[in-house]
Amino acid sequence: MAPPQPQQVNLSPAELSFLRSTLCQAPPVRFDHTKGPKDFRSMRAEYDVLPGANGSARVALEDGTEALVGVKAEVETSQWRPSPDARGSALAPDAEMRDAADDEDAKGKGQNSWIEMSVEIPGFRDDDSLPVFLASMLTESLLASGGLKDRLYINTRFHWKLYIDILLLSPPLSYPLALLSMTTHLALLTSRLPALKSEKDEDPLFDDDWDAAVFLYPKSKASASDDKPPVIVLAMGVGPNIIFDPCMEELAVADSVLAIACANATASSTRARIVSVRTIDPPSHLTPPGVPNSMNSATGGTVPASSAEALTQRELLANSGVWTPPRGGMKRGLISQVVKMVVEEGGVAEEVISALQAIELG
Amino acid sequence: MPITILPPSAPIAAAHLHHDDSDEDMSDDDGLPVQSTTSIVTPGETVTSDPQWMRGHGTYVPADTTTIISTVAGHLHKTNKLLSVQPLRARYTPEIGDLVVGRIVSVQTKKWTVDIAAPMLASLPLSAINLPGGILRRRTAVDELNIRTFFSEGDLLVAEVQSLHGDNTASLHTRSLKYGKLRNGLFTSLTGAGGGILSRRGGVVRSKRQTFTLQTGAGEIDVVLGVNGYIFVSAHKKAGQDEKDVSITSLEQGVSETLYSSQNDDIEPGVAREITRVSTLVKGLVGCGRRVDEDMIVRVYEGAVELEAEEKVMGSSERAGGAKGVVEAVLGRLEMGG
Repeated sequence: MAPPQPQQVNLSPAELSFLRSTLCQAPPVRFDHTKGPKDFRSMRAEYDVLPGANGSARVALEDGTEALVGVKAEVETSQWRPSPDARGSALAPDAEMRDAADDEDAKGKGQNSWIEMSVEIPGFRDDDSLPVFLASMLTESLLASGGLKDRLYINTRFHWKLYIDILLLSPPLSYPLALLSMTTHLALLTSRLPALKSEKDEDPLFDDDWDAAVFLYPKSKASASDDKPPVIVLAMGVGPNIIFDPCMEELAVADSVLAIACANATASSTRARIVSVRTIDPPSHLTPPGVPNSMNSATGGTVPASSAEALTQRELLANSGVWTPPRGGMKRGLISQVVKMVVEEGGVAEEVISALQAIELG
Repeated sequence: MPITILPPSAPIAAAHLHHDDSDEDMSDDDGLPVQSTTSIVTPGETVTSDPQWMRGHGTYVPADTTTIISTVAGHLHKTNKLLSVQPLRARYTPEIGDLVVGRIVSVQTKKWTVDIAAPMLASLPLSAINLPGGILRRRTAVDELNIRTFFSEGDLLVAEVQSLHGDNTASLHTRSLKYGKLRNGLFTSLTGAGGGILSRRGGVVRSKRQTFTLQTGAGEIDVVLGVNGYIFVSAHKKAGQDEKDVSITSLEQGVSETLYSSQNDDIEPGVAREITRVSTLVKGLVGCGRRVDEDMIVRVYEGAVELEAEEKVMGSSERAGGAKGVVEAVLGRLEMGG
């Protein structure tokens, strides 16, 4: 197999400079002219696509990037013995009986290792950095958002083990984190577990009627306050502007990229809460700088004699039509501005979560 | 509404796969299993084993048999007794004289290799470019050392296919003032639909003029339609603005000194906005399965500007479907208006 190609930007310095100048305008002109700074690329989504899984979803972006997520739950004994049985039946009675602490409440009993996530991206090996980082970022937000792992608790001896398999069906054109996160969100939102018939510390026995299965994320009448899986949105800063859901070309000129995992707030004044925030190294840092005319022998300039001289000349030429890769990180003010745009009333987080909810409702 | 999530589309929109072939209804339908234009054949699928049919493009007959097997995924076409399969997506097949837009992939000692969306990378020899300093300038060893000052990796250029080699690799040249490095604009690729017999189903059509200037409200815009499906939209090159920067080396007339510049000129925000708009509309056109040529771009561009102006007056800023939605709306109006 060919060695994995690093995610490299293959745009000329002149294009990068042009893209940046349009994105820095007020209001910004995006690569897709019809979109505003907070607009997401339109996508197509469906759920329950895999018959054998507890929950599944498929989301396709208009540029052809497509992700498929399957959620599969298995009953495991809590002593970390491999359970040969699949879900839905009583397990082998070799599990040690421990004195059962009569505790109905599953709160705080969940363990992080009960959720296992794997991300597969074509052209990348399992241990390449991109799939590993994506998986850890998605797991992190899922565990941080609260109640999920506690709901996997059955009794003192048994628990559900959740396998979340994420498959990107196309090569990663832009940074696929947001897409994978939305697909995972939809899959988890529609995942169901068989209803439990046994009580307390009996060997678990499940209702074999799939219609009686319970949702992994329980639904109540007031659906706005239900616990829902987190969703990650990407925001990038370019000049004074903030742009959500950047495409590949826009990422190539980003000053900084922020991945924000947000979930809906169950009880607070704002409509959404932030679960985790991470900065992502934008590919723009690796782009080759443009050569200004005054330093290019092919355009009548003179090539600087030393690299120090070249650096000085470049500094003087900043903000002209010459592409210079952005340096440095994200300003504090910008981060707070992004966070505010995400969590505010009618903000990005609320829009995304309710749009994904609308898919499920039909 | 910042986000739109739609349910999956119905099994591939049949509208833009449908085209009227007059030859299609002439022949008798005996012995052919699949005849509808909406169904596709896949590579390796047996089209027919009846010996009366002849094989055309996209098909294959194994030795000692009369079975016709498809080699590509696409639609079956019949012309009298000739069977051919038109692929759904194909790469560009270079032909001599084509105007193409390409991107430098690698730099070698005496040539560049260029991605022109063909199955093989094309080559651009150092001897096939105009060197700065006039047409009569001789190529020297210094130029070979400075090869990266002309084009380096990632740079875009417009060139002409000069010759084809035995393995179908193309050799390019830029020995005209029309050709050379591209800057001041935006690149769009429509790969998979470009050129040749595929032109009926969206993509760039070979035409008399592959480059043209579009009049917009903010200023003039140059559009380069590469036959290979690569498109570059840029600010209009103004002639005679080179006097401001007199250099020591005496440059000949003919080759302007900004020929190999990788620095953008100052572009007015209005022009930059229109460039982005044209580039988005081109993508929308392909999304709708329309061909891309000068006439179409001009009509859709004018329609889109009109539409936006009207929306502004009406106060409804509801835009569904992005680029494709806008183009569909414009095309709908154009067809209604005649």
